Amino acid sequence: MGKVMLEVKELTTKYITRFKEDVYAVDHVSLKVEEGKSLGIAGESGCGKSTLALSLMGYYFPPLYYTSGDIIIDGRNISGMEPDDIRKTILGREIAYIPQAAMNALNPTGKVINFIEDVVRAHDSKITKAEVYEMASERFNLLGLPPSTLERYPVELSGGMKQRTVIAISVILGPKVLIADEPSSALDVTSQKMVIRMLMDLMEKQVIKSMIFITHELPLLYNVTDDIMVMYAGQMVERGTAQQTVFDPLHPYSKGLMGSIIVPESGSRGVRLTAIPGTPPNLKKPPFGCRFAERCRYVTPECIVRQVEPVETSNNRMYRCIFSEEYLRKAYANE
Amino acid sequence: MKHMLQQVFHSPKFVVGFIIFMSILLLSVIYPIFVTGDPLVIIGKGTFFEPGIYVNVVDGIDSQLYSLSLPDVAEKRIALKLGATERADMKEWLVAFGIPEADIDTEDTEALLNIWNQNYDSKLRLPGMTNARKNYFARLDASIDNLLSTEGIIIASKDPSTGALTEEETIGQSQYINVNRTSNVKVLPLGTDNFGRDMVPELISAIGTSLKIGFIAGSIATLLGLVLGLVAGYVGGWVDDIILFVTNLFIVIPSFVLLILISYSIGQEQRGAVTVAVVIGFTSWVWTCRAVRSQVISLRNRDHVNLSKLSGHSTAHIIISDILPYVASYVVMAFILQISSGILSEAGLSILGLGPKTSDVATLGLMMNWAMIYSAHIMGKWWAYFPVIIAIALITFSMNLMNTGLDLVFNPTLRD
Amino acid sequence: MKGYFKYFRNKFFWFVVTLIFAFLLNFLLPRLMPGDPVAAITAKIAQGSTSIETVKEVYKEYEQLFGTDKPISQQFVLYVRNVFNGDFGTSFTQYPRKVSSIIGSSLGWTLALQLPAILVGWIIGNVLGALAAYVKKGWDKVVMPVAIFVNNLPAFGLAVIMLVIFAVQLKWFPTSGGYGFDLIPSFTPNFIKSVLVHYQLPFWTLVLIAIGGQAIGMRSMSIYELNADYVKYARFMGVPDGKIIGYVFRNAMLPQVTGLALALGTMVGGSLVAETIFSYPGLGSTILSAVMGSDYPLISAATLIVTMMVLAFNFLIEIIYGLIDPRIKAAQSD
Repeated sequence: MGKVMLEVKELTTKYITRFKEDVYAVDHVSLKVEEGKSLGIAGESGCGKSTLALSLMGYYFPPLYYTSGDIIIDGRNISGMEPDDIRKTILGREIAYIPQAAMNALNPTGKVINFIEDVVRAHDSKITKAEVYEMASERFNLLGLPPSTLERYPVELSGGMKQRTVIAISVILGPKVLIADEPSSALDVTSQKMVIRMLMDLMEKQVIKSMIFITHELPLLYNVTDDIMVMYAGQMVERGTAQQTVFDPLHPYSKGLMGSIIVPESGSRGVRLTAIPGTPPNLKKPPFGCRFAERCRYVTPECIVRQVEPVETSNNRMYRCIFSEEYLRKAYANE
Repeated sequence: MKHMLQQVFHSPKFVVGFIIFMSILLLSVIYPIFVTGDPLVIIGKGTFFEPGIYVNVVDGIDSQLYSLSLPDVAEKRIALKLGATERADMKEWLVAFGIPEADIDTEDTEALLNIWNQNYDSKLRLPGMTNARKNYFARLDASIDNLLSTEGIIIASKDPSTGALTEEETIGQSQYINVNRTSNVKVLPLGTDNFGRDMVPELISAIGTSLKIGFIAGSIATLLGLVLGLVAGYVGGWVDDIILFVTNLFIVIPSFVLLILISYSIGQEQRGAVTVAVVIGFTSWVWTCRAVRSQVISLRNRDHVNLSKLSGHSTAHIIISDILPYVASYVVMAFILQISSGILSEAGLSILGLGPKTSDVATLGLMMNWAMIYSAHIMGKWWAYFPVIIAIALITFSMNLMNTGLDLVFNPTLRD
Repeated sequence: MKGYFKYFRNKFFWFVVTLIFAFLLNFLLPRLMPGDPVAAITAKIAQGSTSIETVKEVYKEYEQLFGTDKPISQQFVLYVRNVFNGDFGTSFTQYPRKVSSIIGSSLGWTLALQLPAILVGWIIGNVLGALAAYVKKGWDKVVMPVAIFVNNLPAFGLAVIMLVIFAVQLKWFPTSGGYGFDLIPSFTPNFIKSVLVHYQLPFWTLVLIAIGGQAIGMRSMSIYELNADYVKYARFMGVPDGKIIGYVFRNAMLPQVTGLALALGTMVGGSLVAETIFSYPGLGSTILSAVMGSDYPLISAATLIVTMMVLAFNFLIEIIYGLIDPRIKAAQSD
């Protein structure tokens, strides 16, 4: 077992809406990522995966607020730290973020290098312009981007170029953890491929030490990440290796999710695609029992009245369901 | 549709704006039903009568008299006639006349009047005093004459042959008449304007006319903008090029200048309220056209429009059933703004003397124009211009509120 | 730089086209009306107090100036030539003063009043709008209702209210004119002081008018930018808030520059009317007195000058905008 780069314990964060209502989009989530490994987070839109990405940064601003839990990066707990200290010492250096819509992630009226200067200076005010430039062009070279990009304005770059530039900027300070929130979903297929290759490159070249990859595209996760965690309505419902989660899902929701996609792997031919009926619950008033109960085909009265805690299985997997592994496997086999 | 209306009426901004606007509109519609007669009839011989209750003097004398013993009759009378300025002026005269300043107490009315009555001489012209000032003091003296007297006023009749006066009755200091029992009383809540017209019916009729101008101008501008915008956006090609070219021109050339030129060229005689409204409408369609055009362009290639095209629907059918519903919310908002800007344009034109022909109708702009020409603002005749400004501001404010309310409903991203 | 040159050329082309079009409108509109303009003009003067001699003289002069006996295309050429020579004919109301000299003396007043007022109002409005968007609490509750209220008052209404409060009631400033009526324009300290005193009220009124609209626009623009993705990303990269606010306000400000260019025409129109309330000796009052006296040549010249003024500043703003917004250069070089 490698060194743990990121450990999250029972993290809970909430949104406060205009009408002063609390929405718990991340509810007691725990996870662990080891050095050299990557974790994928899957789930349908609105399940809280993007909010989880924001929450993991440890730096909160309205309408998102921290409630409880710990974020430990490379042995250092950042949950209790002052926001300004987090900004100076953690963000970009220890943990970095690639936003969902890289199209608009860069200030449209600033050159790429100017933004990099601001980022680097925010952590080290003594560094000179020339040093920043040298550092940036070196990093861009390493990642196969032409250093001339530095002198461009974001509008002058194509979509794929912009996304790769954003990735290069995110890792400029060599963070230990990189959180990529749907980094490729808005791109065309060729650009997607380049972006994914670039992310894998980052791990190989040890620019970053670990990665959390968030997407709704399961086949992509299966190919890119080591572990997969499935989220539903702000909670973790299943966690395991990519192989386990995709081909042997335990939670009925994961099962449904995997049933609704095609993983281009041997054996997937002839599998019927299914959809999960219904919509996720309203997180302003989450149900007391299992949050998936309303849409679950195996639901029992007990599911609705009892709070369901995650169960850890023998082979280091986790799932959140009142049924046993065997019961679920049998049920799936009978379909 | 019903759901949307419900949402609109749940927006507090829209509701407040709607209530204000409807009240103004209803007032201008209902008032003329109850108060018939020409709102522009000249009743006052003179300019700018103050707001108040006007009682016919002959009727007053003829009415039944009531004796009321009220304590502060004399004080009230003095307060009206002898203000702080008058007292200071009296002191000034007396000091110039040679009375030691220490002897004059402007607070003590009785002493002041005594010393004044003893010393004042209307024929005397003090050194350094202008003729106008001298006349002023003579007028002041006449008005404070008898201020402290306790005697009544004698009503006398004149013998037609001899010319001799016979005492008919005496009206005592403590006698009153009941305004309700007097046949001729005129309430002028906002006084009269420079022509001597009652401000209230005039203002209400002006609001009506201005709203009409706004509606006509707004309808023309919105309709023109909508049709041209739809055509430019949907048809595209050279039609679009030409329309875009024209809108580009009219966006930089100030429409106000065009308004001045056209209004002037039409000439005062031909300029009725409707003509002015039409001219305003034809000079203000550009913005609506631009906005509709760009929305239509983004709608043109949507799936449902393509589907409609493939189904063989005619262009007119596609525009009406597949495009119009999507721009409708914007057009409604543009219409509201066009109405209020039409009212403002009329007012601006009228102030420059280019409004509708003055004798026919009253508009808010014309009322403002006359008040300014007669310097009502400098002479402190607030009732001649202030209600007009308030009326304009209330109309534009209510329309803006409605517009913001609609905007928040139709464009949820604006909510912050 | 190639991109910018293309942008400049495009804008310059539009400037020239609109200018020609403005000339055409100014020339055609009065001629489209039934009857011959010169006859109409002289008919109007005949109603006035000017003597018969003057009428005859004016008629002759205008027949020549307009060339009414020639075809319309030649008339237009003649008109453009006259305009470029600065020859707008003779005023009726101030006969025999040349229109160009009347315009010349009032244009300076209008420029000196409106240009700084619109600029100052634009700056203050943007700062207030940005503050309202960023600070939100309190500010937003105070600044915005005031701005919305001011924005809803017509320009002349605000002018009257300012005049009544500060000149009639408080007597801080004179009620009308550009300088003391007993003074002759000269560069004496007395005169300059009088001009400055008379300048305050119209100036601040126009500033106030400009603030309202700008503050509202800037606020919504800033709110939009504050929610932009680049703000979130910059925050997560540890960039300090001060720097981010810098990006946001620069980006929100840029559309406000074009906004100013587009609003210029309306602003100038409102300001001209407001000028007349203060009897300020600018173009607004000139237009008013020309309308009152049916002084056609003066109206025609004044409106043309106002149009040219707006066009020129509009062009200038767009040229500057192209220099400060990198997106323009990029968009043009595709």
